[in-house]
Amino acid sequence: MATRARVVRMEPPAATGGNALLVLVGLSVVFLLIVALLGVAKSGGSLISESNFLYVALIFYAGAGALYMGFGVTGTPRYVRYASVATAIGLVANTLAVAHRWYLSGRPPFASVYEMLLSFVWAVAAMTLIAEKKFGVKIIGSITMPLAVVCVILMQLLPSEVRPLVPALQSTWLHVHVTLAMLSYAACALSCALAMMFLIQDGFQTETFLAWTSAMVSAIYVAIVATRFEKWGGLSVTGWNAQTKSDIFLGQGMRLFVTVPDLGWLFVIAASAAIVPLLLYFAGRVRNDGSFYGTANKAVFISILLQLVVVAAFVLRVRDAAYPSPDQDGLFPTSLAASPFLLGGMVTGIFASLLYLMLLWRRADLQGLLPSADTLDRVTYKTICIAFPLLTGMIAAGAYWANRTWGSYWSWDPKETWAAITWLVYAGYLHMRITRGWRGRRAAYFAILGFGVVIFTFLGVTYLLPGLHAYA
Amino acid sequence: MAFSLSSIPKRIHKTFANLRTGIVLLILVVIASAMGTFVLQRPATDAEKLAQAYSPNTLRWLDRVMLTDVFHSWWFLTLLGLVSLSIVLVSLDRFPNAWRFYARPYRKTDWHFRAALPHKVELPIKNAEDGLNAAERALKKLGWPVDRVAYKNEPSLYSERHRVSVMAVYIVHASLLLIFAGGIIDGAFGYSGFLALHKGQTDNVIELRSGGKKQLPFAVKCYAAGQDNYADGSPKKWWSKLAVVQDGKEIESKEIVVNDPLVYRGLRFYQSSYWLDNHTVDSLQIAWVAKDGKETPLQLHMNQPVALDSDATVSLMDYIPDAFVRDGQVFKKSDDIENLAFGLEVKNRATAEVSKVWLLPAQGIVLGEENLNYQFKNPASAQDIALAAVTGLEVSHEPGQWLVWTGVLLMCAGLGVAFYMVHMRLWIVAIPDAKGKLVLWIGGQANKNRDRFEQKFNDVVEGIRIELESASLTPQSARREQPELTLAGVK
Repeated sequence: MATRARVVRMEPPAATGGNALLVLVGLSVVFLLIVALLGVAKSGGSLISESNFLYVALIFYAGAGALYMGFGVTGTPRYVRYASVATAIGLVANTLAVAHRWYLSGRPPFASVYEMLLSFVWAVAAMTLIAEKKFGVKIIGSITMPLAVVCVILMQLLPSEVRPLVPALQSTWLHVHVTLAMLSYAACALSCALAMMFLIQDGFQTETFLAWTSAMVSAIYVAIVATRFEKWGGLSVTGWNAQTKSDIFLGQGMRLFVTVPDLGWLFVIAASAAIVPLLLYFAGRVRNDGSFYGTANKAVFISILLQLVVVAAFVLRVRDAAYPSPDQDGLFPTSLAASPFLLGGMVTGIFASLLYLMLLWRRADLQGLLPSADTLDRVTYKTICIAFPLLTGMIAAGAYWANRTWGSYWSWDPKETWAAITWLVYAGYLHMRITRGWRGRRAAYFAILGFGVVIFTFLGVTYLLPGLHAYA
Repeated sequence: MAFSLSSIPKRIHKTFANLRTGIVLLILVVIASAMGTFVLQRPATDAEKLAQAYSPNTLRWLDRVMLTDVFHSWWFLTLLGLVSLSIVLVSLDRFPNAWRFYARPYRKTDWHFRAALPHKVELPIKNAEDGLNAAERALKKLGWPVDRVAYKNEPSLYSERHRVSVMAVYIVHASLLLIFAGGIIDGAFGYSGFLALHKGQTDNVIELRSGGKKQLPFAVKCYAAGQDNYADGSPKKWWSKLAVVQDGKEIESKEIVVNDPLVYRGLRFYQSSYWLDNHTVDSLQIAWVAKDGKETPLQLHMNQPVALDSDATVSLMDYIPDAFVRDGQVFKKSDDIENLAFGLEVKNRATAEVSKVWLLPAQGIVLGEENLNYQFKNPASAQDIALAAVTGLEVSHEPGQWLVWTGVLLMCAGLGVAFYMVHMRLWIVAIPDAKGKLVLWIGGQANKNRDRFEQKFNDVVEGIRIELESASLTPQSARREQPELTLAGVK
């Protein structure tokens, strides 16, 4: 391997800078914990509650994410040690949150999108620690911890109260089905992260990462603008009923949309700023001129700043729209809680861009820290070998349960169909790998594509396609 | 080669026995299924919604290519059929080789085979027979089964584990075909429908999902049905007490709930819904007042006379959900629950004279009791009026489902074996090494998870070395030199 020679450098480059980040993260964690503690003390609520545990988990996951990313940038091995400790503490808090909810409701937390995310984050954190300790993939936390943080933030916005189980969900098969689903999805997430690292280690060009990152961020913002931009620069958000903690529906599947004035323009600007690096990349490709990439990287930097501005403006302005209630007098404000997926998309965009910057600035160090491309390739395959049987079991358990509840083991419901599609994609991966000997790049693309399909099956189908599988 | 008619089957075979064709077919299935989730589907969405979602032109076009019912269209089923064909042909093409490998494992240790093995080690020994005996003891200690093989006067040992893992991939593909077969049988011979039963009702005709009706060879009776609620009012449980009735005899009975159906002769009755029938009253709680002013509570069921005193009986004969009164007469206005009206009949036992009394609780009036000795009071609250419960039963007959479940279990087992069981083989033979000294040559191979196998292989070699040393079968010179594990492959 050509890159091997400059990859051997394992010494931490700067010890002083290392301490600064540790102190910074440590202080932030302590500060946030104290603020949270004061808040609890002031409100007189119980310390032992699910939301408090989850908040602690969020703080430690965020801290771990910062340290993992810091490790990625500086290569200080100490960071990983503290990052794993932070992940472990976060995992303990997360486990306590799950346990508390389980204890209060008398059933495992599998019955709504909120509860599924709670379990998913737990599985992701657990698998991160396993990947780190068992396979030695130390840097993986810099991808999975931001994912966990995005999920926990999403969860803050989703309806979280314990709802009694509707008759169809009262089955042991619910637990079997969802446990298998969460484990397999987490394994798929891991395989995707490993495949990306393989690409880094395999000498995949930084410019290509630039193209993919800005394509993804552009896609997020273009999608938001395309669906939510209103005349005269407004942005429509869904109406929110604070009492029932749910979206307001005018009819079946018809949400009430309220326009926040002027916010739309910001999104148009952010979308354009996100597209610029992509265009510059293509210009560079066509003209065969490397100087375009330098400009593109600057454009990414501008895009990140704009994204931060947009998120801040969105969070501040989202309450500014008012709507008349269909059955009560007066105007009601909109809420951030009504737009979890807009916010989730935007935060994902920022994390993706930051990860790109990390790669751009510290690629050589990153390569020194990662296991060899061969190892990553093999571990990706092994992870999928774990995910695939779990996926099969999940579909089988779901079919058996459906047969007991709906009277048919397969009814081509969108969720079922997409689960089958996911299964077929991974089956395709296995076939290509085993019989055609697909290794390396092509296998890595396949693994990344597979996780994209998983995300669509998990969240996309629930929110975009109507069907029987209405619980989550 | 000239195109000839006889070559067509061969060509077809060649096309479908190709893995690439299989992959292309899978991609097509994926695309078709995805389209089936994006375009609204016919049986699930009603015609009105479809008309709302698509323009008439688009809808006509979608219908023509059957995109509004992808999963039951002939072309989707053909696609699945071709996938099955491809699986069968690809497997048939590869199976004979795999079977040969499985049925007659290669145990010989000729030199070119030895040269090709990925893991091999040589341990110096004094005597061939003793060395092999020691190796056999060591292997048995480690739990490996051992076979003695004599080939070209070279006595050798062969040992393997988990040979079945070679066959696992065929088990998985066969199980997929089993699941498909079950699905086809259900599509051809299965049916599903709906049966709504009032409390006390017996019926044997179901409304098929595909349209039309079907008479079952037995009837189902509903003794009772109900809904239990959580404290917040959301439904917790729907239940029905059902019985199978054949030739007037009750054969089987069960209380079913959601997730726990009644199964009889291959038919399954699922609790799918529960509602109250606006048009039927199950019971009515009122009171009547005698001439002396004494008030007595009275519970009435439809068409069941209740004695008021020794002279007269009363029965509930009519129920109108939305009634209006004109000229002292009660008429029906609509089927919605608005102005309830209950028609009672008071019958004099002696004269058989019948008088009609109407209760209109919404207006708080009672009509037609002026000339009677009995006065009636309207029901005091909504809870006194119990509408008839109807239980909605999903009925399905899936003769192929046992094939499907067999396939599913087989697939889980097959995947478990395919991914987690490693076929490991060891060959051990006593031969002279490159310098002419007698050595115990140990070679090994695994079909997957090679790094894990390397560790196992080293354990085996270590075990044999210890066994040799403890039996002092290693030549003195070699023991002093502390025999390194020579990985011959690396050289």
